[in-house]
Amino acid sequence: MPKRIALMDSVEVDSVDLSDFSRSVRFTSEHDQVDVSGFNPTGANEFLAGQTTQSVTVEFFGSYGTGEVHATLYPIHKDREVVPFAWRPDQNTPASATNPELRGNVQLLQYGPGGTRGDVDTFEATFITADPAGLVFETTPLP
Amino acid sequence: MTTYKVTGPTAFQGHKPGEQFDADLDENVERRAIARGSIKKTTAKKKEDDSDA
Repeated sequence: MPKRIALMDSVEVDSVDLSDFSRSVRFTSEHDQVDVSGFNPTGANEFLAGQTTQSVTVEFFGSYGTGEVHATLYPIHKDREVVPFAWRPDQNTPASATNPELRGNVQLLQYGPGGTRGDVDTFEATFITADPAGLVFETTPLP
Repeated sequence: MTTYKVTGPTAFQGHKPGEQFDADLDENVERRAIARGSIKKTTAKKKEDDSDA
C-alpha cells in the first residue's frame, strides 16, 4: 500500500462534517498491562492484557458560526451527551478495507477553546469512548 | 422516515448543505442537529400504518 500524506481526511462529530475545521486526528487504544507474575525459575514477569482505554484527539480550528465547531462541541460537553464520531483517511471514497473508518459513540469531558493574539485559533478536543462497543475501524460504509 | 434539509454550512451524514434527505435519525441526534442549525425537518415522520392506507 502507498504511503500517505494526510490531506483529505474525513472527521464527523455528531453526524456533522467538521473535516474542514480539523487539521489533525490521533486515535489511541491501550490495554492495561496487568502483572500476573508468580515465582518462577527465570524471574521474568508475566503480563495479561487488562481493561481497554480508547480515545481520539482532534485538533480543531476555533469557529463560532452556526453548525460549526463551537456549536457542535459545546452542547455535547455541557450536556454530557453521547454522540457518534467517525474518522477515515479519505473523505472522497466510502469506508473500505483500504479506507477504514473509525467509528464509535463518544463523550467530550473537557472543552477548552481559546486564542492568542495574531495566531490561528486552534485547540485540541479528546473524545473518549462512551459504551462497551468502543471505537472500532469499520471497513464497510454506513447504510 | 422523515425528510430533512441540511441548513448548516457543513455536510450532515454525508449530505451537502442545501440537500434534502430521508432518514430515521436517532431522536437525540435529531434534537441536537436541529438545535445547532445543522438540519431542519421538511416533513413529519410517517406513521408505520401509512402504507396500509
